[in-house]
Amino acid sequence: MTTPRPYRNAAWVLMLPAALLMGAVGVLPLVSVFNYSLHDIFSLADVLWVGPEWYAEIVADPRFHASLLRSLAFSATVIAVQVPLGVALALMLRGMRGAVFVLMLVALPLVVPWNLIAMMWLGLVDPRTGLAGQAFAAFGIPFDWKENAALTWALLVAMDTWHWLGLSVILSYAGLSGISPDYYRAAAIDGASRLVVLRHVELPKIAGALGIVLLLRFVDSFMIYTEAFALNSGGPDEATWFLAIDLDEEINAFNYGAAAARSMVYFLIVITVIWAFARISAARRAG
Amino acid sequence: MRRWRPLVIVLLAGFILMPLAQTFLLSFMSTLPREGMAEGEWSLINYRAVLASPALMSSIGNSAVYVSINVALCLMAGLPAAYALSRYSFVGDRHFLLLLLAFRATPPVVLSLPIFILFSRFGLVNSPVGIALVHCLFNLPIAIWILEAFISAIPRELDETAFIDGHSLPGFFLRHLIPAVAPGIGVAAFFCFLFSWVEVVFARILTVTAGKPITMAINALFTFQTDIGLVMAMTVVSLLPGLLMIWFVRNHIAKGFTLRA
Repeated sequence: MTTPRPYRNAAWVLMLPAALLMGAVGVLPLVSVFNYSLHDIFSLADVLWVGPEWYAEIVADPRFHASLLRSLAFSATVIAVQVPLGVALALMLRGMRGAVFVLMLVALPLVVPWNLIAMMWLGLVDPRTGLAGQAFAAFGIPFDWKENAALTWALLVAMDTWHWLGLSVILSYAGLSGISPDYYRAAAIDGASRLVVLRHVELPKIAGALGIVLLLRFVDSFMIYTEAFALNSGGPDEATWFLAIDLDEEINAFNYGAAAARSMVYFLIVITVIWAFARISAARRAG
Repeated sequence: MRRWRPLVIVLLAGFILMPLAQTFLLSFMSTLPREGMAEGEWSLINYRAVLASPALMSSIGNSAVYVSINVALCLMAGLPAAYALSRYSFVGDRHFLLLLLAFRATPPVVLSLPIFILFSRFGLVNSPVGIALVHCLFNLPIAIWILEAFISAIPRELDETAFIDGHSLPGFFLRHLIPAVAPGIGVAAFFCFLFSWVEVVFARILTVTAGKPITMAINALFTFQTDIGLVMAMTVVSLLPGLLMIWFVRNHIAKGFTLRA
């Protein structure tokens, strides 16, 4: 990006297919959700205007606060585990022969359909037939994760890390491979320590890729549903009862107005985070 | 750090492969009480059952069809958009990028209800086209980001010489741009394939009576007496196209592209 891009509004012709697609599957449904959220919907023919009532109800609901805190805690945990681990592994793989095979290895879980992940892990920790479950039983380690909130959380974080570590490793590695060897040579001449190179050369260079990892991991973990519900149905004692489970309960009860309002609240939270993220990365580029 | 490398890789391999190994082992076991067969006996019976089940076999086809349509749509709409965003600035370009980010970040559950109502009005429920369209919601942004990164890495002289040589825009796309960003197209196709293949929320709500994808066919196997071996065999089958894709893009997957957030 040395010379500025020429200003030409005719470029919108090239944007047209993409803009139409996003309008049809994104903007239009979003406007409808907002519309539903202001109504009480008994059936599609029987709709009553309620205004912001659903919103007032949700925002004041202590159950919502509890789920929100749990979801935020879960997102923070998986990001704190997966991002540093991914960067560390990518640094280790840098310049290694056969790195591509390790990258293929960590990419494997990414191709598993989401509803099958919990099933695979349940099979793994099954005390009768699972490899890990049998091992725990053989060593006499009690692994009663169904009743133990800390263990359910540990299992969920392990499962999510298994699933998504590849994304963090691959994008960090891609960012690192873009660094020209000149930087390392210059750092070596200056006698810079390993930490200084990491802090002032590597991390700034992979910041863009890491931003994408952070963002994708935040939104997907914040709305985790399929995996968490399949593991322990939100239990024990609602310890893994996340935002998306609340929403699904509402939809299953055919409470569409309330479900739409809840969707809008979640959407606003996600958008706020994205907006903050965009501001921070713009400030970083300017500064 | 270098000294510990082999150990770290062994631990990592163990962690990643264990759940997969478990699935693989169970898929070759008879897991239900059967005449003349002990439970846990090694057998190919599950894979034979997959081949013999029309529901399971057709679900593989259904998934393949909507994923292919989705990848084609994302590349065809994404390439011109990525080119425009990479080469020009215009009214609302930054807002469009923010919009892409916002929709990639929108949880599918949020939009599932209106999409179902909208699509049933246009006869797109139970049809692979419907799922392919709705998966553009999160795949088109990804395709545009990746393609934009690859196109921006190509010097602008390529465009200029082509236009001076008298190429029209479509001619330039076909003869110069597409060959030059072929690796980018491969990487974008890989990620679009990936996220479409593993998605379950839209795939579930948009297939009410027919056109069930592989993931829903597996869900339907859970009954009063689930044949877990059959479930695992079908899971192994569902992983095969993904493994193939990883193999094809292995040399491009982490090479030389930096994403502009």
